[in-house]
Amino acid sequence: MALLELKGVEKIYQQGKIEVPALRGIDLIVEKGEFTTIFGPSGSGKTTLLNMIGCLDKPTKGEIYFDGQELGDLSKKELALIRRHNIGFIFQSYNLIPVLSAYENVEFAIRLTDGRTESEMRKKVLDILEAVGLAGLEDRRPNELSGGQKQRVAIARALVKEPKLVLADEPTANLDSKTSDEVLEIMVRMNQQLGTTFIFSTHDPQVMEYAGRLIEIRDGKVSREKKGEDIRVHH
Amino acid sequence: MKFLWTLAAKNLFRNRLRSIVSIIAIAISVMVVVFARGLVTGFIDSTFSLYIKYDTGHIKVVNQEYRQKERLFSLNYPVDGFNGEGLTSMIKKLEGVEGIEMAVPRIKFGAMASTDDDLITMLGWGVDPAKESKFTGIEKQLVEGRMIRPGEKEILLGKGLLKKLNRQVGDKVTILYNTSFNSFKGATLRIAGVIESGMPLLNDTIFYLPLDIAQELLIMPDQATEVLLVTPNAKEAAAFYPGVKELFTAEGAEERYSVEPWNKANSVLEYMQVAIRIYDVIYVFLVLLASIVVINTMVMIVKERTREIGMMTALGLQSRDILKLFIMEGTVMGITGSLLGAVLGGIVTRVLSVNGFDYSAIVSGMGDEFLMNPIIYPTFSVTHMIYGFLLGVIVTAVTCIIPARRAARLEPSEALREF
Ligand SMILES: Nc1ncnc2c1ncn2[C@@H]1O[C@H](COP(=O)(O)OP(=O)(O)OP(=O)(O)O)[C@@H](O)[C@H]1O
Ligand SMILES: [Mg+2]
Repeated sequence: MALLELKGVEKIYQQGKIEVPALRGIDLIVEKGEFTTIFGPSGSGKTTLLNMIGCLDKPTKGEIYFDGQELGDLSKKELALIRRHNIGFIFQSYNLIPVLSAYENVEFAIRLTDGRTESEMRKKVLDILEAVGLAGLEDRRPNELSGGQKQRVAIARALVKEPKLVLADEPTANLDSKTSDEVLEIMVRMNQQLGTTFIFSTHDPQVMEYAGRLIEIRDGKVSREKKGEDIRVHH
Repeated sequence: MKFLWTLAAKNLFRNRLRSIVSIIAIAISVMVVVFARGLVTGFIDSTFSLYIKYDTGHIKVVNQEYRQKERLFSLNYPVDGFNGEGLTSMIKKLEGVEGIEMAVPRIKFGAMASTDDDLITMLGWGVDPAKESKFTGIEKQLVEGRMIRPGEKEILLGKGLLKKLNRQVGDKVTILYNTSFNSFKGATLRIAGVIESGMPLLNDTIFYLPLDIAQELLIMPDQATEVLLVTPNAKEAAAFYPGVKELFTAEGAEERYSVEPWNKANSVLEYMQVAIRIYDVIYVFLVLLASIVVINTMVMIVKERTREIGMMTALGLQSRDILKLFIMEGTVMGITGSLLGAVLGGIVTRVLSVNGFDYSAIVSGMGDEFLMNPIIYPTFSVTHMIYGFLLGVIVTAVTCIIPARRAARLEPSEALREF
């Protein structure tokens, strides 16, 4: 069974009296363990699509199946629980809590889940921070970290609860190309090591290099789709 | 949930100045509440005790007719025994009632004295010197001379009145009055002593004379105009009231006399009890006013942290968790401010409860109608501090619901777009 399946997903924003169609019928299947890139120019609907997948918003039309479950009928509370346990988010602007240390920011996400003892949680946080290359920087506050380091904290925060899916909306847009590469390499490595499914969006052709699978969207529709070697050969 | 409290506390350090201003606003209001409560309690307690001493006793007995026109100081409706058999035996019986330590008789009457160019109006109080000293401690206010003695034609008066009369201790003064038969008479009495009291009534208007002398001059044999009953404690006086009432019924005198506990016997005291409740409402408004500063801070915080709220929702917090988090943040400010305010208010009250708070400027302008001590000693009490603290915490927590609801209502996808 696919981890994610979208069937004819449409999203229309209501802006006063004007209807703004952001997604116009997206069909998509994402298998477990895939590393998928959503590529498209500004305004093409990348963020809107990730919000639908991430249970942060509901489509105007169409169905989304997450792990076999249709999301349309779920209550706000049920959606929150899916996000809490099964989906990790990485944002363009990091969105770390400035008064918490790197350790505490990561801990925040795992504290929301239940069923782990204090020492298990502690070990998980330290392990994941080490895995993203932040060993020794656990006590730093976000303002004492570089952009790349902040985004690594965000990756650790998304992964610490071992979600089924990680969504990253333009995670490298605020980073220079060298740092972007480092951050993406970490994401690829985590995808390979932990088998976590990743979907990340970008409008930067440079970044597409890392995609295992590339979905290009334009005006709210999938315009092209490539897999593996094709990506590197064609663009 | 504990980690959310920790986060709420840490968040106070994000914009220190703003947090400090909010905390100070709460602290000041709570401090004022604690102090004002102490002051009002101190004021009211001291006023109550003045009224008890000089007007009502713990339970006041007067003739029913007299009660209707008390201000006229009529001598025609005396306390003269349950059925006219005389004051002395009535007092004995009253002092036999359980809980009644003392029955203090007084004759209050209007009088005048003339100086070279003025006619001075005064109030004469015929009293049992020993009982009066025991009950009101009047002897302690003596600054010159001595207390009056039964059977002696002498008076005790306030410094102000002495000055008005232009006399010295040991001098004689001729007093003019109406007897109970309404004949106008004069009597010459010796000034035995002078008292000093900050209260205008006691200082400028009243002179004391022995009860037996007053009875003789006014032709009121074995009579008084009022009898004040004293119990061990004013606050528990009501417990002994039924026993007193019973005695009056048994003697068949319940129609003839008005018998009332102190808090009913004078309407000023009744108003004051209402005032205490009004003050409690005012305190709530005061803290509410201060909490507007906190609400304002919280509204700014919610606006600034819109994206953070979106992020938290994405991490799986529900609307009600967001609501809680912001109420917690406001409450942390409320707790800090209230604690500070309660402690400061306690300290200020404590200091002034020893040194007193001088009201004399106000008192001197008020005339003798209203009994009031010139120096008020605020009542220091931990209860007031706890009251102020809880009031501060609860009011801030409740008012923080307004901005917190705004945060909880944000749509996560919209919140995350915010820049
Ligand atoms: N809340 C909204 N109300 C109205 N229109 C919206 C709203 N959100 C997005 N849109 C519109 O929907 C379309 C898709 O927006 P979206 O943010 O998904 O694009 P994007 O690919 O993420 O763009 P970018 O690269 O700039 O982030 C755009 O035309 C945008 O203006
Ligand atoms: Mg976008």
